[in-house]
Amino acid sequence: MSITDRFAAIRKGLLEYLILRIVSADKVYVADILQRLSGTEFATQEGTLYPLLSKMRRDGLVDYEWQESDSGPPRKYYRLTAKGKSQLTELNEYWKDINATISQLGR
Amino acid sequence: MHKVVTINLNGQAYQFDEDAFDALRVYLDRAETQLKANPDRSEILADLEQAIADKCRRYLSAHKTVIAAAEIAQVLQEMGPVEAAPDPSQEGAAGGPTGAAADGERPRSPNAPRRLYRIEDGMMIGGVCTGIAAFFGIDVTIVRVAFALVAAIELVSSHVGIVIIAYIVMMLVVPLAGTSEEQAAAHGVQFNAQEVIDRAKRNIAEFNDRGWSHQRREWRRQQRAWSRQFRQTMRAKRWGSIGFVPPAADYGTRVAAGVMTSVLAVANLILFLVFLYALASMLSTGAIYSWRVPPDVPLWVATFGLFFTYYVVAWPLHMARRASFYAVGGSMYGWDAGGYGLVSAGLFALFVWLGYQHVPEVRQFVDRLPEIWENVRRAIAQSR
Repeated sequence: MSITDRFAAIRKGLLEYLILRIVSADKVYVADILQRLSGTEFATQEGTLYPLLSKMRRDGLVDYEWQESDSGPPRKYYRLTAKGKSQLTELNEYWKDINATISQLGR
Repeated sequence: MHKVVTINLNGQAYQFDEDAFDALRVYLDRAETQLKANPDRSEILADLEQAIADKCRRYLSAHKTVIAAAEIAQVLQEMGPVEAAPDPSQEGAAGGPTGAAADGERPRSPNAPRRLYRIEDGMMIGGVCTGIAAFFGIDVTIVRVAFALVAAIELVSSHVGIVIIAYIVMMLVVPLAGTSEEQAAAHGVQFNAQEVIDRAKRNIAEFNDRGWSHQRREWRRQQRAWSRQFRQTMRAKRWGSIGFVPPAADYGTRVAAGVMTSVLAVANLILFLVFLYALASMLSTGAIYSWRVPPDVPLWVATFGLFFTYYVVAWPLHMARRASFYAVGGSMYGWDAGGYGLVSAGLFALFVWLGYQHVPEVRQFVDRLPEIWENVRRAIAQSR
């Protein structure tokens, strides 16, 4: 089992956190998110992203608004809600703790 | 030349090749199944359709208005399989493969239905070997060589071809994989979009590898499919009501119908042999078993009556056989019937040969055939 296979579940679990980070930085639509993730270890496809975003919206972490685009139909632009922002802060803290723990254990 | 299907992707019309449309429909159907429990299902599906439409647009221009199968395969490949968003209640249950399935080899899914079918694609005689190879996931050449080897050893050592008989029986009993679902089951893979996409990709790769000779074979295969379609239409007409085609039966029914067809074929054959025997004994001795033809009945009337009786008795058998034949998906005409005719003729010859070897009466009768023929000729000459 390669490292990428072994960490598949972890990457999957982290995806929501990463999307929160991407959305917090800027108002984005799906193609932007895919673009940001492509080329990283977290490269994702629409088939995964759309269901995940809809779930995050149901959980009240993100919301979207329609915006006209120059090319093609209007797009959904996502942004963080207040709940999403506080969740992101929490997750940032947690991630820092995890990193600290890892660096404390051995070297 | 392909048929073009116009579809509505989230409010915009797109033209798809028929194959491309099939692949897309399977993809979206599967997406819908995956999202069954999702309250935002219709919204997500609309988003997916929109994304697919956006990706399709790059293949279209003023001079190219139709999406081809290879293009939609590429698009759906980029879209990736639709997965239900991780549900907190069953977190970590399924890590799941995220990437696309490996190219080339078909990935086997452990819980996909797997059944033995005959496979027309690449078959040599009846598609039995291709079906067995797909069932066990081994190369068809291995199956063929094994078959031929065992058959040869058997024939040389004991003069009986159990393997050959087994092949014929399987040819009659095992149904042919027709629909995409059946073909998926024949290979033991899950029937879903990934499978259809993989197949499309494989076909493109094969085309690039093998070029024209393969394409010609493909065309021939398509032609066979068309002629099958034609036969089905004709069959519907023969059944009286236009447009009625017997519904596709499930696997068990088709196997049962296959068995029935063979049993009925043998019954038919035995009946025919009895008829032949009766005819011969009437012509040679003027009596059928202990029943003597009345002297005032001319021979030709008796012969006609015998034919008539045979047809009356054989008719229900024939109809039953025909009905089970339709359930198997074959036709009483054309190539399928030709195959059955050959098998029947083979069985007939086998029966006669066995009788000649082991039953003195049959031997006597066969040896007396020229004499009987002479009698018949004389009788006909006299009655004139």
